[in-house]
Amino acid sequence: MDTLFGITGKDFVITAYDSKAVASITLMKIGEDKSRELNSHALMLFSGEPGDGVHFSEYVERNIKLYGIRNGIELSPRAVASFARRELADSLRSRKPYSVNLLIAGFDVKTNKPALYWLDHLASLADVPFAAHGYGAYYCLSLLDRYHREDITEEEGIKLLDKCIKELRSRMILNMPDFVAKIVNKDGIRLVQLGGN
Amino acid sequence: MDTLVSKYANAASAASFDTADNLGENLAGWDAANEFALPAFDIPMVSNPVDFLRAHTDASAENRIRIQHGTTTLSFKFQGGIIVAVDSRASGGSYIASQTVKKVIEINPYLLGTMAGGAADCQYWERELGRRCRLYELRNKERISVAAASKILSNMVYDYKGMGLSMGTMITGWDKTGPQLFYVDSDGTRMRGERFSVGSGSTFAYGVLDTGYDYNLSVPDAIELGRRAIYHATHRDAYSGGSINVFHVKESGWEFIGNYDVGQLHWDYQAQPKGPIS
Amino acid sequence: MFSTYPGQVVVDHPISVPIEHRFDPYVDNGGTLLSIAGEDFCVVAADTRQSEGYSINSRYVPKSVKLSDKTVISMGGCYADCLTLTKRIQQSMEWYQHAHGKTMSTAAVAQMLSIMLYQKRFFPFYSWCILGGLDEEGKGAVYTYDPVGSYERETCRCAGSASALIQPFLDNQINFKNQETQKHTQSLEKVLRITKDSFTSATERDIYTGDYLEIFVITSKGVEVQKMDLKKD
Repeated sequence: MDTLFGITGKDFVITAYDSKAVASITLMKIGEDKSRELNSHALMLFSGEPGDGVHFSEYVERNIKLYGIRNGIELSPRAVASFARRELADSLRSRKPYSVNLLIAGFDVKTNKPALYWLDHLASLADVPFAAHGYGAYYCLSLLDRYHREDITEEEGIKLLDKCIKELRSRMILNMPDFVAKIVNKDGIRLVQLGGN
Repeated sequence: MDTLVSKYANAASAASFDTADNLGENLAGWDAANEFALPAFDIPMVSNPVDFLRAHTDASAENRIRIQHGTTTLSFKFQGGIIVAVDSRASGGSYIASQTVKKVIEINPYLLGTMAGGAADCQYWERELGRRCRLYELRNKERISVAAASKILSNMVYDYKGMGLSMGTMITGWDKTGPQLFYVDSDGTRMRGERFSVGSGSTFAYGVLDTGYDYNLSVPDAIELGRRAIYHATHRDAYSGGSINVFHVKESGWEFIGNYDVGQLHWDYQAQPKGPIS
Repeated sequence: MFSTYPGQVVVDHPISVPIEHRFDPYVDNGGTLLSIAGEDFCVVAADTRQSEGYSINSRYVPKSVKLSDKTVISMGGCYADCLTLTKRIQQSMEWYQHAHGKTMSTAAVAQMLSIMLYQKRFFPFYSWCILGGLDEEGKGAVYTYDPVGSYERETCRCAGSASALIQPFLDNQINFKNQETQKHTQSLEKVLRITKDSFTSATERDIYTGDYLEIFVITSKGVEVQKMDLKKD
């Protein structure tokens, strides 16, 4: 099962996903992208049923981008999260629901505040300072409770993420090879190098 | 009578067959709107068609519909392009239904697809993919990219997710961006990669493939690695066997390398020294 | 009754739903079919017994149908499904004849049958199909199918209730599997002998095979049908 992380700081959100692609007992690939950039300041991470994650997130991505093109203004992270939640909730009541867990990380350019939304496969939406999905959550939420502050800097954020990954590597029976981390801040979305790798 | 005369009076002009009615007649009911429509599949009139299919294909069913299964397929990128190697056995339960299955599907001269899972599912959908790729070519006056082709396949089968399709395929080819390799399955998973193996014997094939792999392998060495990995999979996996088909994907399109009977290959390999462990 | 929120569906009468019984539309009517391709001929053979469980419905129900001068189809499994499928093939071939002014080639029928079977991917025909005939070059061709339409051209194939008894024999006699003998195609006489031996032997060991053997021989001269007795116990 995939692990996703999201941590907000003073003026950024840092996210990470493990880049494994698994088919039953076989590791098919390392370096699989489990995120989609919804617009210049919103990023979606997904995990869950194979195939559903990519299809759902690309569907949301295209609709959010279309909104930006049509109206000349991009949706705020809050609006993006509401849209995604509603789509997931509607799908849940259809013949074939999507089964995906999501994290939406964004930076609101109007209020200059970072935003992180946690969404599970039943379309519960929560606005949180930090979040995790998958088995990694069982190890790392306590760790995040212990160390996280609202005003951490990007360097501290990366260090905190490294602590989480280090804990997973030492305690989880599953091999956790490569995590990919991305930061969302006022300048947009960028990849970051983790110290642990 | 007048209409008949006018019809033949105009026969030489271009106007004689470009009316909407004539177009319909000429092409036997062809309709542009339906060009991308998927064929309508018959569905049993029960409340849950998925359970129906499962009940009749299950091992415990009284009159079991055996859908052919079992495979080892592999494909990897290297310096000289892509090697695709597959076995040729199809089994229905414990009965070997065929030892001569073509598990590499030639979609067009630049695209190959492999077959693992349901034989009919792979054959049917990769043929449909071939049709759509041809339409793309006619419309756009250029070949479709492997990325786009694999996405078409992925989207088509994703529409039927949960209905019992079983397909694990690798789509390979050479396009503007060079050699390309994608894994697509009936869950809707689609990913780009360097090296894949799919099917019941894939773990065995991976063992040999991963250990002997090097991007800088020469073409003959790469072909031999692919062939050897499938051979070892047929040796350990009862659902794999028959003979091995090897293809090489190059800039000029794919080339069929050969068909090797596993029965003979076994003794050929037995006769060879295994060599030092490097 | 009243709704507690807008859009709420209120039901003030009992809902009647249809009672669904177990839907089991398949039965195996048994029987064995076989086809062997030669250099310039093709043999399609099948026994004519039709059974259901331990009862024999009829001693003469042909499983093979001549589709054209170059193509014969043989089917086993659920006879009802086979009938429907045969009808569909024949109708499509007739439409093709009217639309194009020519008879469908064996290869075209073969591809069409694959699509027809796949059309019912989610409600399959319970049928084993073997299509035998001559290709465009006049060479013998055998196309075999699984119930949902995967198909392959082969030189010989046996399907149906005694397939597991006869197929290994064909592998040995037609394809010379695991033998040092020089591989070669068999003459029509030899193929007919192998076919007859296959069925007389299968009749000894398979309760669903017997009564009569009907052999279709397809050559450039057309289709010739031979009938032979099998044991009737």
